[in-house]
Amino acid sequence: MNATAARPAFGRDPAVTAAVIVLWLLLALFVVYPLAMLFVRIVVDKGALDLSGIVKILTDRHQVRAFWNSLLLAFLVGIAGTLIGFLFAFTAARTRLPRAALTLLDASVLLPLVSPPFTTAIAMIFSFGPRGLITYDLLGIKGVTVYGLTSTLCSEVLTYFPIAYLTLRPILAAIDSNVEGMAFSLGASRWRVFRTVTLPLAVPGLANAFLLLFAASLADFATPLILGGNQFPVLPTQAFLQITGMFDLRGGAALSLVLLVPAMIVFLLQRYWVSRRYYVTITGKGAGQTPFDSVSPWVRRALLTACVATVVVVVYFYALLFYASIVVAFGANHALTLQHYRVIFTEGLKAIRDTLIIAGFAMPLGGLYGVLLGYLVTKKQFVGRRTMEVVSMVNYALPGTIVGIAYLIAFNDPPIELTGTALVIIACYVFRYGPTGIRATVALLSQIDRSIEEASQGLGAGSGTTFRRVTLPLIMPAFFAGLGVVFIRSMTAISATIFLVSISWTLITVKILENMTELALGPAAAFSVLVVAIVFVVIGAVGWLLRSFRAPGAARVTSLLGG
Amino acid sequence: MNVIPRWLRRTISAMLVGAATLPAFAAETLNVYSIWPENWARPMFEEFEKATGVKVNFVRFSSGEALARVIAEKNNPRVDVLFGGPVETFAAGISEGVFEPYKPPSAAKLPPRFRQADGQWTAIADDPLVFMTNNKFLKDNNLAAPASWSDLLAPAYKNSLQMADARTSGTAVTRIFSVLEVNGRDEGKAFAYMKQLRPNVQLYTKSGGGGTLPVGLGQAGGGIFFIVDALDTKAKGYDVTISFPKEGIGTAAEAIALIKGAKNPELGKKLIDWATSPAMQNLFAKYKINFVPAHPDVAVEPSLAAVLKGAKIFAIDADYAGANRKRIVDRWVAEVLNQ
Repeated sequence: MNATAARPAFGRDPAVTAAVIVLWLLLALFVVYPLAMLFVRIVVDKGALDLSGIVKILTDRHQVRAFWNSLLLAFLVGIAGTLIGFLFAFTAARTRLPRAALTLLDASVLLPLVSPPFTTAIAMIFSFGPRGLITYDLLGIKGVTVYGLTSTLCSEVLTYFPIAYLTLRPILAAIDSNVEGMAFSLGASRWRVFRTVTLPLAVPGLANAFLLLFAASLADFATPLILGGNQFPVLPTQAFLQITGMFDLRGGAALSLVLLVPAMIVFLLQRYWVSRRYYVTITGKGAGQTPFDSVSPWVRRALLTACVATVVVVVYFYALLFYASIVVAFGANHALTLQHYRVIFTEGLKAIRDTLIIAGFAMPLGGLYGVLLGYLVTKKQFVGRRTMEVVSMVNYALPGTIVGIAYLIAFNDPPIELTGTALVIIACYVFRYGPTGIRATVALLSQIDRSIEEASQGLGAGSGTTFRRVTLPLIMPAFFAGLGVVFIRSMTAISATIFLVSISWTLITVKILENMTELALGPAAAFSVLVVAIVFVVIGAVGWLLRSFRAPGAARVTSLLGG
Repeated sequence: MNVIPRWLRRTISAMLVGAATLPAFAAETLNVYSIWPENWARPMFEEFEKATGVKVNFVRFSSGEALARVIAEKNNPRVDVLFGGPVETFAAGISEGVFEPYKPPSAAKLPPRFRQADGQWTAIADDPLVFMTNNKFLKDNNLAAPASWSDLLAPAYKNSLQMADARTSGTAVTRIFSVLEVNGRDEGKAFAYMKQLRPNVQLYTKSGGGGTLPVGLGQAGGGIFFIVDALDTKAKGYDVTISFPKEGIGTAAEAIALIKGAKNPELGKKLIDWATSPAMQNLFAKYKINFVPAHPDVAVEPSLAAVLKGAKIFAIDADYAGANRKRIVDRWVAEVLNQ
């Protein structure tokens, strides 16, 4: 990051100081405090310091194996998910697809993000299990084993690659195609332009996408819970089982805290790597974008084929889901019915209302939090800047179960009694899923030349005005990406919130889980379809809003999300 | 920032006001964590309200999640009663000190295995294990429904059974103690059997009922489940057969308990009195809840009785199981699961 312009005056700006203080207070309350309370609960047993049980569980052979499995899975998901995400983002940004095709692409990419966790895994088993629709009925393979690394990996990549797409899309769109065009007219081949101009400029995006996927996979327990089987235990699942199966809260929490170590190492590594280079492409000096055909026709065809193939898999899964919602009992009685929808709109109405209220609050707050924090840590100099960036990632990198338990422990008793309120769930969402917006903002801001802001300040605008009038329009895509992810997660997350729902506030995902345990696939599928529909309506509205905020020089905004 | 339009600001403030005034409860309200699924718990609580005028607010969790919450909320309990769920869960709760002893009037009539000696919990139902197999699988492999523990060892079942994981499920612990009982508590013989069975097990599921849907869908050939889960699978329309081993199979009680520090202890006791008495257990049949009633005065519903007819079912000895549980589960993990 270009730190030469670190003028002391920035640190004394009252607006910045106030924002920093407020953010620190919030982080202290909703990240540090719960974690500290949890930590105390782990190391203190009946009023005395006791580490023997913890040491025993952390050195257990099976847990150590689970730890390495987790790292392997997270690494593979990070690589594969970033690749696919880049493929989609590049296709969307560089192949000049017609608007309708782009919207379709966006919509199908969003689908997996929207899926409540259990449904994809179930579709996976139904399709690729020993009697799977594809493995057995279509291909006639007998005796396949669906449980293990491969299917967990496929399911997680499919679920999480949209995060990479959302992070990379604005980055690629913001790379001034004039730069590429110049390289091309200087005689470089398209491949060489891609390799020496486009790809290096996308590095902040790639590194951030990898980080997000790595952390998301490291923290995911639902997918391996269903698909990991007995041969491939991972740490978040082990931690969950330790708590809910062995009733050992301390041991489970200790296991989860271990996951923070690799997550933080990867975070610091990517930071170090990204910060050594210079990525500015938005300088304020550019003329309009000159169109440049960055891909040759056959590459375009190959890209599109790969995207379509992925989209087909995604759409197939959701077709299956929709089908399950309109038949009496999936797999047993395939008579068509609307009964399940009737059930969710009567018995499930409270859950729907609660979820919408909570997501409605979490969305703008989460988006704002992401952009503000991302902006401050990238563009401003203040004490504890790096620490703030690290702390903001903690809740994202921890398995949801642990965040949920930590919130429950911290906010159940006075002085801060929040259990049973909607606020505790909203806070959980904002601080757990806000980091997507932070990373997107950080990545996007490393592309914007500081001189643009300096010009504004030089002309007499305060830092608040500069932020609102200059920076904000430029980072709008990141704001909407962050906001979108927080909304989607608020509609679909379960691992943390299963411990935070209460008699007064319940959630759709909890109902889905409930229905799955009751073998009521129909209502579970109907709820999932409803979630998908709501998310699409909201994201569509956000896209519409986004278009009205489009600023010259900022990323081109053509469709649904993140521009 | 002025980017928020006025209508949106108005909506938000309206929602804030709504959220603040929402939890306005009536005076006679009881808060409960239910481990029974909502479709069984809801009608029970509605009947309770009809009978006593006390309204029950409840949330449903799996047994592990419910207990984890009760433990985390120990210093400031949010609910008064923990309703339903296997005795296993309640035993774990006792060692965490989360229950308030209370002996309902019905307790005196119950056999000892249906009540905790100090009144920490009392049983409301009984739930035997069964074999459940997919009919299409049986037909494809020319098998009859398994009628003996040794039938499950047949090579035709290779990699096609699903049953619960002993680390996380009371169903599994009941199953393992069943194997021990039918082998005369000879651990050598019992573990030899379970090791022999291992290659036929496709997956040890996290929850007791986790394998029922795969068996229903035919992704797995069969498994060992609690009768309520098995009958529920059948009722959903899946083509499965329920059978019992001739050597016998174990059963586990479902319980209810008062939370220590409950804010409405008197109402909680009212619910416990009602749930442990025939007043509630007579309603199982009406709502198609396939538990076996715990109270001796309640008759087993005829169709459930027909399924159970001729089945050899035995109770797991609580003292023996309690004393050996941890050791047996550890051994199972080491020798069977990670074999």
